[in-house]
Amino acid sequence: MITQIVTTAMAGTRRAARQPGALVAVAGFYLVVTLALSAMWRAVTESRGGEIAGYDATSITWYIIVSELAFSVVPQRLIEYTGDDVVNRRIVPELIRPARPVVIRLAHEVGMVLPRLAACAVVGVVFGFAVVGPPPSWSGLTLAIPALLLGAAGSIAAQHAFAAASFWFHETRSAWFLYQKLVFILGGLLIPIDVLPGPLRSVAAALPFAAFAYAPSRLAAGRIDPGWFVVQLGWLVALTIAAVVAFDRGTARLVREGS
Amino acid sequence: MEGTSPVIVADGLQRAFTVGRGQRKETIEAVRHLDLEVRAGERLAFIGPNGAGKSTSIKMLTGILHPTGGHALVLGLVPWHERRTLSRRIGTLFGQRSLLWSELAAVETYRMLGAIYGLGHAHVTRRLDELGELLDAASLFHQPVRTLSLGQRMRCELAACLLHEPSLVFLDEPTIGLDLLAKQRFRELLVTLNTELGTTVFLTSHDVADIEYVADRAVIVNDGRVIRDASVAALRAELLTNKRVRVGLAGVDPAVVAAALTGPGRATTPTSTGIDLAVDTDVCTIETALTAVFAAAPGAVVDVAIDDAPLEDVIASIYRSPT
Repeated sequence: MITQIVTTAMAGTRRAARQPGALVAVAGFYLVVTLALSAMWRAVTESRGGEIAGYDATSITWYIIVSELAFSVVPQRLIEYTGDDVVNRRIVPELIRPARPVVIRLAHEVGMVLPRLAACAVVGVVFGFAVVGPPPSWSGLTLAIPALLLGAAGSIAAQHAFAAASFWFHETRSAWFLYQKLVFILGGLLIPIDVLPGPLRSVAAALPFAAFAYAPSRLAAGRIDPGWFVVQLGWLVALTIAAVVAFDRGTARLVREGS
Repeated sequence: MEGTSPVIVADGLQRAFTVGRGQRKETIEAVRHLDLEVRAGERLAFIGPNGAGKSTSIKMLTGILHPTGGHALVLGLVPWHERRTLSRRIGTLFGQRSLLWSELAAVETYRMLGAIYGLGHAHVTRRLDELGELLDAASLFHQPVRTLSLGQRMRCELAACLLHEPSLVFLDEPTIGLDLLAKQRFRELLVTLNTELGTTVFLTSHDVADIEYVADRAVIVNDGRVIRDASVAALRAELLTNKRVRVGLAGVDPAVVAAALTGPGRATTPTSTGIDLAVDTDVCTIETALTAVFAAAPGAVVDVAIDDAPLEDVIASIYRSPT
């Protein structure tokens, strides 16, 4: 199975790399959003006397650079596309293969992340140096790279796990909309979780979304806590198992009932 | 194919679907009773009108749908219980669903598919050499799929379907969308695949030419059951007793003449220039039919042409026959 996963991931990487137009679009969009959000958060920080929830202008900028990176490298509408493939039965031919469709899909999507990550990371680092100078911690920024990969893999697994609901329910688009908003707000994409009010902060920290963007972003902001790697790894394993189990049950239902 | 072992045996295969809820709940029998035996090395056309139960039957035979009754063995395996094992031994090609990624060269997708099927790098390389030669597509394998014509792409799709050396291939509308030359080329490849590698071909198509050129046997299904199981040669023989007589008329209303020509063994259709008669020569001789035409339109017949009925008409008449 390892060979299946690695070969599929490599094919995904090559596939994303052969779409330079899409890479430029993702990197361009990433730059625009990062530019706007980081400017807004620097203004907020300055209005609060140069610091908010322990973040100064430099660390909040590097936080946003990495949180938007986490957001940009994984298609946030993957949940919709996967759900549509299930509802429209485009997944059916994949069942006539000696491999679990979900495992192949996860490997492919993770592989596709790498070229996007490379393209956006170059843009992000150049932007960060140009606007606020070096990151608060070089080791934090270095550690943010594996954390970004873990977060991206976790996000992909989560989107597949939730998309599997389409095996049972055909009208799920509103649920995907809600999911995306939860990721934006409680995943630390737009707002660092530390800035949220106490109870909401606890809820956000307990949900898997924080492992996708908040964990790597706080590293880039200089807050090095190895415990977050354990959290990320734990969510990745749990969400991957959830996705595999949900797809196994969903495909078993599809084969049994046909609709 | 007498003497060769069966690769597909279906015995009273049934599949019903329940649709609607509550009071409006109803059961639809997509496949009522499918009995079928396909022997190794056959080229079988599995045909029928839309809604006849073809797709449902194929889903059951490939293991992606449980039957609600009956039994089947494909290559000695119960498909819906041993789907993954079976998938290593069968190939599937759906004309409207691509196995290849358009951004990559086909060979890159083949490498991935090879890994999925547990084939080593050397094995895939050797197999691609064979398929490249068989399908005359070696140079196509290294081009980005998006740059290929549809005909070239379908040859690459066929290679993907054959990569793991299946002994049985299910092809669902494989020539759909292809131009005439590409269709003909593809049909020839399917025959070559069967004759050179011994691969059993299970083909569904609405294109009667696919059936004529590729299949040696046709199983016709309608309303969820087999209504005809005959060699394509036998179906062709029916052409000999089914003639189409085209009569050009002048100075009369073709509809009036057509109405006057009803009789056993002939069906008349008015056209813009005259009438078309479909004649079953077992029931009504050509002479009788023409005598009736001259009697119904005295002095108005300006042209007569007699052709064999196309296979399409024979199959359509079988579709229409009571099940």
